[in-house]
Amino acid sequence: MYRGREGQWAFFLHRISGVAILAFLLLHVLDISLAMWGPEVFNRLLAFYHQTIFRIGLLLVIAGVLYHALNGLRIILMDFTSWGVRVQRQLWYGVWVLFVVMYLPALFKILPEIFGGK
Amino acid sequence: MAIRARRYEDAKQQAGTNLELAWWVFMRISGLLLVFLALGHLYIQNILINAGEIDYDYVAKRLSQTTWKVYDWLLLALALLHGTNGMRYVIDDLVRNPAVRFWVKTVFYTVVAILFFLGSLVLFNYDFQIS
Repeated sequence: MYRGREGQWAFFLHRISGVAILAFLLLHVLDISLAMWGPEVFNRLLAFYHQTIFRIGLLLVIAGVLYHALNGLRIILMDFTSWGVRVQRQLWYGVWVLFVVMYLPALFKILPEIFGGK
Repeated sequence: MAIRARRYEDAKQQAGTNLELAWWVFMRISGLLLVFLALGHLYIQNILINAGEIDYDYVAKRLSQTTWKVYDWLLLALALLHGTNGMRYVIDDLVRNPAVRFWVKTVFYTVVAILFFLGSLVLFNYDFQIS
């Protein structure tokens, strides 16, 4: 089933990120729905969310979604190809390479917005 | 019980019911679609714009356009189904007492159903009156 430590970490992180994304999603549906209460209420809520602590939280959510998406592709390869399980360890390292390549540009865009003092 | 297989053939053998096998397949198909829908959503809202400057007008304008209504509803429906079924696997693994498990699932499914209804309302049943 899971051979070696990498596979178990991949599984564990997939679950943790999945649960975290779901928790965020449920909250996110609720807060966007509050747009129905009109501009005053909704703009006050958005101002609350624009605080530094929530924007850093959003960076973590983005990281979670990115890992879950890339490792999900790894799972699909393991399930539907003849070679996926054999190279699951290498695929997991590939997940992390792609994660860094895709996440760093996001950090370069978003971190200055939070801390740039603009 | 959640399927622990790698490979479709193993999943077929391990699935107690056709429904459980269908969920196993659904997780792969919806997952593949969500890679594009969810990462696309994050790219649009965080990279193309400054997420810290989003206001009511931006959201109202966006939710008034049919393209984004359809995109967002597809993302909402697939993400909630994918996430809820994933959470079902987690609950099955963590909550061993059948009676407790039943009530945990009942409350959880109820919350998800209410939020799905609310999300669908804001997308399709509210007029933001953009001039």
